[in-house]
Amino acid sequence: MSETRSAFHQEIEDLERTLLGVADQAELMVRKAVAAFTEGRLDLAQQVIADDDEIDRTYLEVHNRWMNLMALQQPVASDLRQMSMLLHMNTTLERMGDQCVNISKMALATEGLPRVEVIRERLQEMSDLVRAMIRAGIESVVRRDADEARLLPAMDEPVDRLNRNMYQEVVSAGPDPKRLEWATKAMMVSRALERVGDQVVDIGEQLAFLLTGEMAEFDDVGFSDV
Amino acid sequence: MNVTYESTKQETPAAVESESPTTPGAGAIMRTEDLNVFYGTFRAVEDVTIEFADREITALIGPSGCGKSTVLRSLNRMNDLIPGARVEGGVFFHGRSIYEPGVDPVEVRRRVGMVFQKPNPFPKSIYENVAWGARINGFRGSRSDLDDLVENALTQAALWDEVKDKLNESGYSLSGGQQQRLCIARALAPSPEVLLMDEPCSALDPIATLRIEELMLDLKEEYTIIIVTHNMQQAGRVSDRTAFFSVDVDDRGQRTGKLVEFDQTEKLFTSPSRKETEDYITGRFG
Repeated sequence: MSETRSAFHQEIEDLERTLLGVADQAELMVRKAVAAFTEGRLDLAQQVIADDDEIDRTYLEVHNRWMNLMALQQPVASDLRQMSMLLHMNTTLERMGDQCVNISKMALATEGLPRVEVIRERLQEMSDLVRAMIRAGIESVVRRDADEARLLPAMDEPVDRLNRNMYQEVVSAGPDPKRLEWATKAMMVSRALERVGDQVVDIGEQLAFLLTGEMAEFDDVGFSDV
Repeated sequence: MNVTYESTKQETPAAVESESPTTPGAGAIMRTEDLNVFYGTFRAVEDVTIEFADREITALIGPSGCGKSTVLRSLNRMNDLIPGARVEGGVFFHGRSIYEPGVDPVEVRRRVGMVFQKPNPFPKSIYENVAWGARINGFRGSRSDLDDLVENALTQAALWDEVKDKLNESGYSLSGGQQQRLCIARALAPSPEVLLMDEPCSALDPIATLRIEELMLDLKEEYTIIIVTHNMQQAGRVSDRTAFFSVDVDDRGQRTGKLVEFDQTEKLFTSPSRKETEDYITGRFG
């Protein structure tokens, strides 16, 4: 008895490695994009926009390779579920890149505006949490660890909470129209980070599907206290 | 001696209602129980227990030598024709053993028809190929009744429109795919309830294969179909349930087929329960 589809399985593994590389890149982009906004680093904003072009190219390349594998190899069972996970990862990571671009555009749009310290701290906190989620998501995929993936909603909960509280922080920013303008854009940054957190949870759900064969959304632990 | 079977509309046996993956949800028309088939002293398959749901398509898949064709042939006593072949355990059709004394194997084969790997029309006309099936099963009607029967069988086999103007031409004049549909018409002529198909498309081109598959999906409205196929995509396309067979090799190199997993086809091809199934269908071991 021996492996009879090694070329096919190698190609799936290659696709997964490519996407894990994109996930690494996405984590770095979150850090740069949030720093661009909170520290007024326009150079970082421009880098993120360029990085996203690279993610978009990889997205198209992975999509084409994925289509070819489906058409030519007709995967089944765990191969099929792995392909499902990779398709979702590809779409999700491309959207994460877009969220980082959105944050970077906020940085460019707020050039020279006064920043609100407490909001900067909150956004930095959200950025740290979301990046930890991306790293945990990558780890769970690499180790095929469904238990670790199931921790992602709990990691996402403080991100959701910080996002919900951001409105209050903005209201408290004071009457200065320039500070208010910056704070209003910060709400959009907060919303983008909250979306990235949800997208990491999606990847975890796909991993659990690959490992268990059962497709189910993880319980959203943060939703009950909305 | 002929034997009567109970109606297909009998009450569903209690066992059929269980959630066991080897148990169809609908009524089972055929089942095997601890089926062992021997060729001389060689045990070809061991302890196969499986139920075949009425008017569904069940696919039997697995590597060469796993016993899937042996199981198929045991379902209408085709193994009787092989010297030294012997069956232990049970094969039940409408709840009655087809191997018990007094059961006429010819009647069993009328009720449980068979289509083979290679199209094998007789060296006779298209008409006679189909009429033969009815005649050897004691058809006593008029010529007009026989004409109707031939037309009906050819129509059911999706061949009538292509051959209605050349019924007296040889069956050999047809293409491979048409010949196989002619063989299906011949198998349908005696009005069976179950159709066994042993790799019916392996000698056909892809288009002829798809036509046969479409035909199978039409036929399952009226017939129960059990198909052996090496083509896993075919099993996926046509069958409601799939049984995966594998081979055990003992210390002496003796190979014995066994049923590993039986489940809804969608389940088996997306999330099989057994690692052996997973490894086989994903090509990790073959």
